[in-house]
Amino acid sequence: MTTLAADRKSALRRELAAIVGPGGVLSEPDELLVYESDGLTLFRALADFVVFPTSAEHVASVVRLANREQMPFVARGAGTGLSGGCLPAEGGIVISMMRMNRVLEVDYDNQIAVVEPGLVNLHLSAAVGPHGFYYAPDPSSQQACTIGGNIANNSGGPHTLKYGVTVNHVLGLEVVLPEDGSIVWLGGRTRDCLGYDLAGVFVGSEGTFGVATKIVVRILRKPQAVKTVLAVFDRVDQASAAVSAIIARGLVPAAVEMIDQLTIQAVEDAFSCGYPRDAAAALLIEIDGLRAGMDLQAERIVAACRESGAREVRTAADESERQLLWKGRKSAFGAYGRVSPAYMVMDGVIPRTRLPYVLGRVNEIVAAHGLRVGNVFHAGDGNLHPNILYDPRRPGEEARVVAAGAAIMKVCAEVGGSISGEHGIGLEKVDFMPFIFSAADLAFMQRLKTAFNPTGLCNPGKVFPTRKSCGEAGPVAYRPHPIEERGLAQRF
Amino acid sequence: MEALLEKLRATVGAAHVLTGIDLSPFVVDGRTPEAAVFPGTTEEVAAVVQQAAAAGTPVIPWGGGTAVAVGEPPPRAGLILGLRRLDRLIEHEPGDLTATIQAGLTFGALQAALRERGQWLSLDPPDAGRATVGGLITSNASGPRRHLYGTVRDLLIGLTVVTADGAVVRGGGKVVKNVAGYDLPKLFIGSHGTLGIVVEATFKLRPLPDAERLVAARFDRLKDAGVAARALLASDLIPNAVELLDAAAAAALGLEGAGTLVVGLDGVAEQVQWQAAELASLLEPLGARSVVTLPPPSWTRLAGLAREAFASPAALVTLSVLPTLVVDTMEQAAAAARQRGLASAWTAHAGVGAVTGALLADREAAAVATVLAEWRAIARASGGHATLAWAPLAVKSQVPVWDDAGPAARIMQRIKAQLDPHNVLNPGRFVAGI
Repeated sequence: MTTLAADRKSALRRELAAIVGPGGVLSEPDELLVYESDGLTLFRALADFVVFPTSAEHVASVVRLANREQMPFVARGAGTGLSGGCLPAEGGIVISMMRMNRVLEVDYDNQIAVVEPGLVNLHLSAAVGPHGFYYAPDPSSQQACTIGGNIANNSGGPHTLKYGVTVNHVLGLEVVLPEDGSIVWLGGRTRDCLGYDLAGVFVGSEGTFGVATKIVVRILRKPQAVKTVLAVFDRVDQASAAVSAIIARGLVPAAVEMIDQLTIQAVEDAFSCGYPRDAAAALLIEIDGLRAGMDLQAERIVAACRESGAREVRTAADESERQLLWKGRKSAFGAYGRVSPAYMVMDGVIPRTRLPYVLGRVNEIVAAHGLRVGNVFHAGDGNLHPNILYDPRRPGEEARVVAAGAAIMKVCAEVGGSISGEHGIGLEKVDFMPFIFSAADLAFMQRLKTAFNPTGLCNPGKVFPTRKSCGEAGPVAYRPHPIEERGLAQRF
Repeated sequence: MEALLEKLRATVGAAHVLTGIDLSPFVVDGRTPEAAVFPGTTEEVAAVVQQAAAAGTPVIPWGGGTAVAVGEPPPRAGLILGLRRLDRLIEHEPGDLTATIQAGLTFGALQAALRERGQWLSLDPPDAGRATVGGLITSNASGPRRHLYGTVRDLLIGLTVVTADGAVVRGGGKVVKNVAGYDLPKLFIGSHGTLGIVVEATFKLRPLPDAERLVAARFDRLKDAGVAARALLASDLIPNAVELLDAAAAAALGLEGAGTLVVGLDGVAEQVQWQAAELASLLEPLGARSVVTLPPPSWTRLAGLAREAFASPAALVTLSVLPTLVVDTMEQAAAAARQRGLASAWTAHAGVGAVTGALLADREAAAVATVLAEWRAIARASGGHATLAWAPLAVKSQVPVWDDAGPAARIMQRIKAQLDPHNVLNPGRFVAGI
């Protein structure tokens, strides 16, 4: 990390203030502390400056200044990320997009909206909701996370099983290029792009290709009807088998979520959502679409669950019961707080059919490290979220958590899966990239990065494996993120 | 060239290297290649690319040849690298709803294999019998059902490519959700063989629907059909295809009417029945003269209707516009052709704004070129762009195939320079001079 001399720092501060206004720059250590972590509090890095632009031109000027000073920069949204992706790993400037948070335009006839990156995900659905529309990608942090952050991580959510992830809903982006601050549109408002799909490649590039300043997203019509089914199992492998059985019956539900016993008990202790405490696992299955035929589809799901050994299958009778079931799923994060002082969430993805095997291995690995795990995850997508519970005050426990996490990622890779389904590589998983990518794969990606980010100043230290140590980064004691403490977000 | 041929024969076997008269099926925009080579493995593809690169011979990847006309005439046709021997369905796990396929397998053969196990890759491009999986990706081919199921972009989850320096690189993976590393699959979609040679791909699949129905409604004016399409899109119905056909395109399907709206419905039987009834009651007050169910073979012909309208079209153009501007675009473009005394035929995926027009060839190339330039201007005025999907060389020499990509062209050129620095892969045929 760079250390700036005091006079140099105050000169730069004045220059930044001239760009974004005097209220738009932080440079004092106590102010900067708020921005040293994201949702993954294991990693920390301190910026030299945090700036709050309100226009693409502001961003462009900041980027030009950073280039002149050879100073790294990174865009940041709400800071709910779970891989350290928005941390200023090598110091420099954090460009907070939180003051660029407007819905600029909604074209209902063409089902698109133009938004700024700092817009909170759920606020878009709220804005278009009265017209019968919504924005489909629904990460569990959607009350706090921003569309710009979703772009960086190609975020998912429970309903991606049917509706796809962020990239499937992004048509175009206005981007400030890292090298010279020029403002360029990638893609646009039409569905088919001209030339390479630059917008498609930019999404999920974890902030290493530039800074998005406007985003054209698709909005969808709300479905006519929704039905939610809870299936309860005495064995985890039965629940896993039910996931494949549902798929095999030709159904693509909007969401299939799994919750294991430890999680159910924590949730019931905290919120009493109606999950049976003695169940080994429960599946929360949602279908949506036309009212016609919905009962028949629900019957098929019930049959698939029963044949897989479900001891109880129940359909939410009304909207309030449906909301209660989802509350159980969505408040799992908060509930873990009752059973453990801290936990680390994993994000591996596996082929659906390998669920029984991998869930077994996860339990073995965690037990072998002397730890406990709760599982609550997107079973329909095969996107696991093992939450390894631990106590950071016990010496050595954090190191065992990290070791168990690595072993779990290795298993995901071995069955043909991936080390991240929606949280990103960030800083956290850089050294695990070789589990799934060869040196040739990574070299090719590096060349692609160079095309967008030739100087490397835009969000350095992310995505690619590096032997360079990340300063003070590394396992340190867990503490809740400020957003977590306010109950605004959960982690999966 | 002889030295390169020797190496190629040693790599893939003499039987899989074509020269001379055998190259006639592989002519690209009137230019005969120097040789065509058909490797049998990924490793052989890599070796061939290395040998061609070392000899300074450009390489044109070739699947079924259905999209090879899309592009500027090649400065040098060089070496055709055919992928037809890489034609295996490597893995299909129905419980995972994914399949991994070699690039040279035809789309028709793939669908047939998947169908046996109750699934499908939810794309319906034209020429399914000849088009290959690799070509489908690199030409970003799609058809009417993209309205509901999207395009390659929404379905491709992983691929293996041979790069310009002969390395074998994998991007994405075999799982349906994956954010590890950059999204290389997106980079290759629609890249027309300029960044690497796709040798293997993994797709998300869907279960086959219980039932499917194709409904056609005839209107007195194309505009009326367009209004009906907007009403359908604003309703609760969830069609899988919403197609607009002008009179000439409808005639190719044996239908009459100045404007025809074709709607695809699928799902469980009850959903299809309910939607068909709703559709009829929605369309009749909007001026539908008749609402009929089309026979199932109509499905496969829908994607290619504009092209089928004329026995020998002078040009085929695709225009990408905002969905609300589809009918205006079709009408303005048809009028522009009429003013020059030329007939045209039009189809559109109305809900996504993808319009296809064919121009009838009974005038000299100059008149055709003038009309095509006007079509492009119409697309641009609607905030979109136009691509010359097919035209004879005489027309191509007067009209660019691709629109101007604007400031983004710089990034595209840099990507090309990074990934293919010696300009080995299909050079000179793509956007921005790539």
